Amino acid sequence: MKKHTIIALFAIAFGFAGQANAADMVFTSWGGTTQDAQKEYADSFTENTKINVVQDGPTDYGKLKAMIESGNVTWDVVDVEGDYAVQAGKAGLLEKLDFTIIDKSKLDPRFVTDYSVGSFYYSFVVGCNKDAVDTCPKTWADLFDTTKFPGKRTFYKWSAPGVIEAALLADGVPAEKLYPLDLDRAFKKLDTIKADIIWWDSGAQSQQLLASAEAPYGSFWNGRLTALALTGVTAETSWANNITAADSLVVPKGTKNKEAAMKFIAHATSAESQTNFAAATGYAPINLDSPALMDPDTRNSLPDKKAEGQVNADMNYWAEHRDEIGKRWYAWQAK
Amino acid sequence: MVMSATTDGGQRTLRRDGSFGYVAPGLLLIVFFFVVPVLMLLMRSVLEPAPGLQNYVELLGSTTYLRVFMNTFIVAGLVTVVSVLIGYPVAWLLAIMPDRWSRLVLAIIILSMWTNLLARTYAWMVLLQRTGVINKTLLSLGIIDKPLSLVNNLVGVTIGMTYIMLPFVILPLIGVLKSIDPAILRAAALCGANKRQCFARVLLPLSLPGLAAGALMVFVMSLGYYVTPALLGGTSNMMLAELVAQFVQSLVNWGMGGAAALVLLIVTLVLYAIQLKFFNPNRAR
Repeated sequence: MKKHTIIALFAIAFGFAGQANAADMVFTSWGGTTQDAQKEYADSFTENTKINVVQDGPTDYGKLKAMIESGNVTWDVVDVEGDYAVQAGKAGLLEKLDFTIIDKSKLDPRFVTDYSVGSFYYSFVVGCNKDAVDTCPKTWADLFDTTKFPGKRTFYKWSAPGVIEAALLADGVPAEKLYPLDLDRAFKKLDTIKADIIWWDSGAQSQQLLASAEAPYGSFWNGRLTALALTGVTAETSWANNITAADSLVVPKGTKNKEAAMKFIAHATSAESQTNFAAATGYAPINLDSPALMDPDTRNSLPDKKAEGQVNADMNYWAEHRDEIGKRWYAWQAK
Repeated sequence: MVMSATTDGGQRTLRRDGSFGYVAPGLLLIVFFFVVPVLMLLMRSVLEPAPGLQNYVELLGSTTYLRVFMNTFIVAGLVTVVSVLIGYPVAWLLAIMPDRWSRLVLAIIILSMWTNLLARTYAWMVLLQRTGVINKTLLSLGIIDKPLSLVNNLVGVTIGMTYIMLPFVILPLIGVLKSIDPAILRAAALCGANKRQCFARVLLPLSLPGLAAGALMVFVMSLGYYVTPALLGGTSNMMLAELVAQFVQSLVNWGMGGAAALVLLIVTLVLYAIQLKFFNPNRAR
């Protein structure tokens, strides 16, 4: 008897909790300075629609899958990596986007699929703390050259587009011949600097490593260097062969606030939201009308203006080989 | 957390008529929110991607993953040894100090336990890094001429985790050391035992139950530790919990994640059984 009472009590408690949240929706992203900037368009969305947006994070693909499988989806719009969006869409984890609400004619077609649109796009660049060293590495080859540039360097810890490409470019693979990725060659190149790598697992950590000169150079998300430079650290960005990748906005399958989610995405990808976001973060907008709205200085500092020698990470290739590369990547790291 | 919860007193209460009802809410909570979800995750290890043991074959057949297992044991063992070496004298001091002072020192130790784990770990990162306080001080004193590598490696993990685990050695030891009658030590000295003999042949054997309980608790807790090794260690000293996190969060391969988690759980349970069998402080007393 007691057991039933307790179960009933829990059911009531959760039922009420569910109702209380009915007028809200939840947006989940990666935290830090990036999500702070995303909060701006969430706030203006609330002003326009009276739909309250609760911020959550960081994005966690394990958690996301658990929600979708259990049918208890509490995230309505999620900022994910572009290759994950493609893969998850194919795996049936996402809602199809409603393009009667979201105007896709204005969005960068490179990042639009049935299940996702771009959120913003960024570049992996060579970053350097100018105060800590005599000369700064300018290219990926420099970053992999431990004779010319001794000491520690930092790279992104997780398996994602960026580091493998950088290793291949450093080894002399021409940008247009990167795909399909030659993993053997990439890992062999990475082996040569492995002992000198400190891995960063979050944007905030990458900033800490550079600012403290624990690792005076490395591979960074361009926006994190922009943010760091604003705090007075003399962070230099080299755009040579910068590697672009995009984040996407997706709606998990089974969300209870599907319409609000679609409206939110429409607002988040609007020219105005994207303009403000780009100005705040140094990441490039994915709305094709945004560039015209920006002041020229900001405009010229963004990844899409650094097209010379730019390498676009192939999201479709990554979506297809994500698991395979991931397994090898982590096994190599643990060696 | 592993603690010897089944004391004699506990069993008596359980047997007393009707009092089981008070335990029911707690037990139900554990069953619904811990046992059932864990079982569900473990089931996946034999069901995903297809029914069978392929996840375990892959996990135990790969040199990479075996290295992660080895790392886990090395780190846990190292942390346990260092914690005991540092913790034992502290516990002894606390046991013989006047109460007023020992309470103050104990408060400091416990206060550190209450501070946020992430904050403490980041603090160590700032202290230990190449441009950190420790290296800068040593450099300016001329003791070293280039910074020591104290973080992103085994050294960093051991320092950070020992600091966190110390109270778990000290607290059970204090109780046992306090319960040792000082007269026994005096008697040993009177009988001609020197200081070392007093320690090795009287104090140490008498305090062994507390020492074993503390050491085993530290070892078992260290096996499953995540935050500190992830932040202070390098990828080449990866521990099991990090491997589980990679499988679950990044690779979204729950079959492998569940398999790794189950291996960790089995090791823990075996150690717990050993503790109950050989080092149960209540039985030894």
